[in-house]
Amino acid sequence: MKVLEAVRRANQPRTPEDSVRFRVACSGAVLVAIAACASLGELSSLSAWGAVTLVAVGTCFSYVTRVHPPGWIKLLLAVSAVAAVVWFFHHVSSGPISDITSVEDPLTVLFVCILVVHSFHVPSARDLMFSLGASAGLMAVGAAQAIDLHFGGYALAWVGFCLWGLTELWRSASGGGRVSITGLGATVVGVTLVAALPFLLLPAPSVAVRINFLARPGNAGSVAVPGALAGDAGSPAELSRAGTPSGPTRVGGYLGFANSLDTALRGQLSHTVVMLVRAQRPSYFVGETFNSWDGENWSTTKQTTAAIDDGSPFSLPLPEGDDANGQTDLQTFYIKTSTADLVFHAEGAAELWFPASTVFYSSDGTVVSPIGLGSGAVYTVDSRIVTPTAQQLERASGGPPLPAADNEAYTQLPHPYPQAQALAESVTAGATNTYDKVAALIAWIGANTRYSTDIPALPAGADTVNEFLFGNRVGFCEQISTSLAVMLRSLGIPAREAVGYVPGPYNPVTDLYQVEADDAHAWVQVWIPGYGWQNFDPTAAVPAANPSPGATALTDLGHALRQVPVAPVSAVLGAVVVVAAFLRWRRRRPANWAERVARSVERAGRRAGRPRRASETFAEYAANLDMLSGGDTDAWTCLASAVEESVYGGREPPPGTQRDLVDTANRMRLIRRREASGVGS
Amino acid sequence: MIHGLRPARPLAPLIVSPAILATWWLVAHNSGAGWVQALGDVVFGTLLIGVLGPCVILARAQVKVVAAPTDGTAGLPLEVRLSASTRLRIRPVVPPGPDVLIGPVGSRRAADDHVILLPRRRGIHDSVVLHISTAAPFGLQWWKRRVVVALPAALHIAPKCGTPMALAVQAREHAGESILQASAHGGEPRGARPYRPGDNRRHVHWRATAHTGELMVREMEGPAAQPVKVIVALPRDKDAAERVAERALGTIVRLLDRGAPVLLCTSEVSGPVEGAVDERRGAGRRLARAVAASNGGEATADGDAIAGIALSL
Repeated sequence: MKVLEAVRRANQPRTPEDSVRFRVACSGAVLVAIAACASLGELSSLSAWGAVTLVAVGTCFSYVTRVHPPGWIKLLLAVSAVAAVVWFFHHVSSGPISDITSVEDPLTVLFVCILVVHSFHVPSARDLMFSLGASAGLMAVGAAQAIDLHFGGYALAWVGFCLWGLTELWRSASGGGRVSITGLGATVVGVTLVAALPFLLLPAPSVAVRINFLARPGNAGSVAVPGALAGDAGSPAELSRAGTPSGPTRVGGYLGFANSLDTALRGQLSHTVVMLVRAQRPSYFVGETFNSWDGENWSTTKQTTAAIDDGSPFSLPLPEGDDANGQTDLQTFYIKTSTADLVFHAEGAAELWFPASTVFYSSDGTVVSPIGLGSGAVYTVDSRIVTPTAQQLERASGGPPLPAADNEAYTQLPHPYPQAQALAESVTAGATNTYDKVAALIAWIGANTRYSTDIPALPAGADTVNEFLFGNRVGFCEQISTSLAVMLRSLGIPAREAVGYVPGPYNPVTDLYQVEADDAHAWVQVWIPGYGWQNFDPTAAVPAANPSPGATALTDLGHALRQVPVAPVSAVLGAVVVVAAFLRWRRRRPANWAERVARSVERAGRRAGRPRRASETFAEYAANLDMLSGGDTDAWTCLASAVEESVYGGREPPPGTQRDLVDTANRMRLIRRREASGVGS
Repeated sequence: MIHGLRPARPLAPLIVSPAILATWWLVAHNSGAGWVQALGDVVFGTLLIGVLGPCVILARAQVKVVAAPTDGTAGLPLEVRLSASTRLRIRPVVPPGPDVLIGPVGSRRAADDHVILLPRRRGIHDSVVLHISTAAPFGLQWWKRRVVVALPAALHIAPKCGTPMALAVQAREHAGESILQASAHGGEPRGARPYRPGDNRRHVHWRATAHTGELMVREMEGPAAQPVKVIVALPRDKDAAERVAERALGTIVRLLDRGAPVLLCTSEVSGPVEGAVDERRGAGRRLARAVAASNGGEATADGDAIAGIALSL
């Protein structure tokens, strides 16, 4: 009985909400949430437009019927809501949950259905609050899918509508208690500060539950030879070709990821966003490794590739030295621009969620996709990161040695490097272990070379390493890392060239690393017994060569401007301009009828060439205008008298008369402009 | 912490707000999306400001009594003009009254508004006790606070005018000579004396004034009739005391209507008070101040005693 009573009490008709503004704000929040989900592709355009129309119609309907809602509407809404829930569970349970989107997309539809249905029965303030809450749920679903700052525009609009709606709720509940501009400003500042606190203090969200992760093919193209390198020329399905200076970035391939790495080519990489990466920690995302060096090109002769076709998620064998008990690093890659079919990932990839039934795994730990990776492609990698300390690497001696064949492959040199070897030996004279030798060489490179992408072309027949180490000692990551690899090999230490991406700038709002084309990088992997292949980046120690302050500043400025999210910033600036214009208008508008009349009179005088003088009372000024208009009607004087009686005497005419006076003042004109200057002066 | 500052019906926000945030947190940590966390932070900020903001606003709110009557009657409404620094819902507690929303509407300055008080019992109030509440700026959670606001002057709540007790006519009285018909304001002129502030202007003796050149007034003999002494001994029980006071006022009003001078004897906090009353308002004020007699409300006068009221000549 108590339950029945509680249900009855909960269903008692509540006070109808008469505030149109509150309804408009709540509907606005709902419509923005629907638009946000539609913009993220979670709703089709047709569904979105249908939902928007129905919500608008429902809002009007519920306002009209707020006092006496028809009895059938509740039944209809209940049936519709139950049908939507049944559809959702049927849809979700009818097929395998391939990834999180297979739940989120139907969830979006469910939320939208409930919002649409609910909009037809929103009689009271509590129902409107439910609309706001449901729109929050819809925004949360959309935010889970958002990967760039364009979502910020929708988020700002939604927050704006919510704050407006809540202030209207207070206004309605308090019988007109409007929040003043100052109060509103303080509220917004308060909300911002309170919101900023957890934003700054809490760690970035990480996926807590291991369910199926995102994997979408996007604008994929089928690769003619599965497992072959493709897509580096700009088209996802086009097979890789040798780099030429006439290529899109003067390195032949689209972003330089090809079957070979030609260090003679001088790339000019752009700021094009290649991919967005959600990762638990910043890592180098490796794409390829090369073992064979011919003095100018790196190529691959050693890796063996095997197809893994056990379906997503793929279990990848851990390379030598990686530990399955290492720290988990989940990385989700959102491909923004067509790139090579390399599955970039942090070292130690153990599991891969990928939108294909097969992937190709190489013995060096790199993975090649069977499909071209175009924009919109998404995949997730679970890496097990082992980060040994410097002391551990210094003491490293145990562990299985590199097999002889591998050792030969990774210490291969095309010809003797007597100068480089002598240099390496002298630099590492005091070092007793591999790590110390690597560290000593990196320190020497850092102290004696300079970084620049603007270097002269490699002369024909010249060796890159000799040119770099014993020439002008200026180069970029390819020359720097190659020199380290060659010096290490000359000392008999196995080393190989790795290429991929560095994480790029981190966006704290989207929690994504923005990897751009110029984040492409080359570094060195060195075999450390017991710890396997370890990454070393000598380029990080190299200072820039002769930077030009002006050019650098302009480049940085241009880069920074390109980073600005145009839509949200424009929306905010637009809103600021509108608010500023509104406040200016509000401050300057006449406070009462007397001021309105006075302004009209002064405007008429100004137009007639007789502005009011600073020393002139309003009555004197009006008398002069009377003379200007003929002097027989005393109309201006009458107006001035009424105004002065109101302002100084406190005698207010009835509201109807006030309106008449304002109308009269607005209608009156001075026609004799030519005589104006002579009258009253 | 401001004394008496507490949320009204806090259960719903206490349950709903953490539930919303927990759900949001779950979504954020199952999607790993930064936007969910960023928006969740805004929702958190909005909820926190919405739930705790009224507390701050209420702590700073100021309520003043702008104008209040000095006399009222138990059971009858009276208006008190209040000024509030912000929009507030006000419920008068002592004396009680209905809820009312007061405060500025779209204006920055404090606005005056009226509160209706419905005092149930007679008494004197130097202040009013109010429950002020607000849910600004979002209307999500109401907070209330008890404030005591001083009145510009003491408010006397007179008892209702009850049924007067029966006025016995004694055997020695004769028609036209009843003491109850003697004028309370009459008396015979005894002489003239200089005017003193407070003298009735009708008593100005113009001839004497003209003769002496100084404003002179007639000096009257005391009333010819003997006043009726109304002895009111209130019982300790408040309801019973209210009834006695109501009946006493009814009786006094009846006596005054008949033109009889009345001498009202009551017990006040300072002790027994005996004094003439010549109008209803004065009687009401005296009864408003009256407290229970030290003997517990037994009538002690040598006359008729009905429910703690005694009349004597």
